[in-house]
Amino acid sequence: MSETEGHDTHLQELRRGTVVLACLRLLATPGYGYGLLEQLGERGFPTDANTLYPLLRRLEKQGFLSSEWNTDEARPRKFYRTTPAGARLAAALADEVRAIADAIAALPPEE
Amino acid sequence: MTTITLTDRYVDAAMRTVPEAQRADLAAELRGSIDDQIEARVADGEDRAAAERAVLTELGDPERLAAQYTDRPLWLIGPRYFLTWWRLTKLLWAIVPACAAFGVALGQTLSGAGFGEIAGSVASVVLAVIVHIGFWTTLVFFIVERSARGADAGLVGEWTPDQLPEPRQKGAGLSDLVASLIFLAVASGALLWDHFIGLAYSPATGWMPFLDPDLWPWWIGGLIAVLVLEALLAISVYAKGRWDIGSATVNVILNVVVAGGVLYLLVNGLLVNPAFFDEVIPAEAIEPLTTVVPTIIGFGVVAIAAWDCVDAFLKALRSR
Repeated sequence: MSETEGHDTHLQELRRGTVVLACLRLLATPGYGYGLLEQLGERGFPTDANTLYPLLRRLEKQGFLSSEWNTDEARPRKFYRTTPAGARLAAALADEVRAIADAIAALPPEE
Repeated sequence: MTTITLTDRYVDAAMRTVPEAQRADLAAELRGSIDDQIEARVADGEDRAAAERAVLTELGDPERLAAQYTDRPLWLIGPRYFLTWWRLTKLLWAIVPACAAFGVALGQTLSGAGFGEIAGSVASVVLAVIVHIGFWTTLVFFIVERSARGADAGLVGEWTPDQLPEPRQKGAGLSDLVASLIFLAVASGALLWDHFIGLAYSPATGWMPFLDPDLWPWWIGGLIAVLVLEALLAISVYAKGRWDIGSATVNVILNVVVAGGVLYLLVNGLLVNPAFFDEVIPAEAIEPLTTVVPTIIGFGVVAIAAWDCVDAFLKALRSR
């Protein structure tokens, strides 16, 4: 395994949880699958389509997102929106990320 | 438009394993997302067919995507049950095939089968038992994994330090030495007692030897000599503090000598005192017993000798 490959797996693991936080915050304004995928990419949370779509379903099943079909436009789309429970989860996740960032900052400095 | 596109086929393939109730909703959403992605690529100047192919390739195997949608495990035995499954399989593999082989060989011998027939059926039964154990335990865990739906099925208890295995005995301590010396002394004593006083009793003649009196003195003397060698071996193992390959090999030779001698005498009808069958056992039971008793003795001797050889080698390997 080359060093970059080793880096990639660890970076992926580190990022995995942050996508949930980003989704919950972005979907405070309703959004649909592909639109959200683009937004995540632009905001520095690059995500694969085959990860994001099942994730939205799972969060909906757990009650952190609600969904509604929008048939106003030419192509009907399923819009997701963060529920109050989802907003609380996002706040908890954000607190945790900040705590981790503080803890990392307090580690012995890099060589 | 009636031509079936790659997207149609993809959505269809992904929906095959999704429960009926979610299918329509999920299919519409997935199709919409794929179309959105294709359109974005076309807007960037890509060819439509190439864009469709690229988007579907990126989404990957439709069944994998469906499994992620429905939280279905994509493994046979997952990490939650793997250790329990593996320990149980190993335990069953260690116990059941040997028992089955012993039982089949004993039964076949008693029913008068030839050596080739016995070896053949033992081999096929052992193979079948190994395969069956592997298959059925895996099947049970496969079902448990899928029926528990993420809930704990209670199959795996919380691990506590109490479950730590005991440190393995080296089998070369003082208690092992004492145990084997006592066993050898009792065995020699029994041989002598049998010859001079007798271990079998019949109301007509009183106590008489169970072993054939013709075995005295050379066969019995030889057996006692081997027992003395075994005692010396036990003492040398205790002195060295461990079994090694050399002492394990000597142990095999001694076992082969004893078991081989007993089998030779059994097969030639020289082991058991003929008067034993005439006097002790009622006449109507003699016919089957003259084959059953020697067969059971033979199997017992071979099984004990084989286990003793394996045990010594295992201890020798562990203490390396």
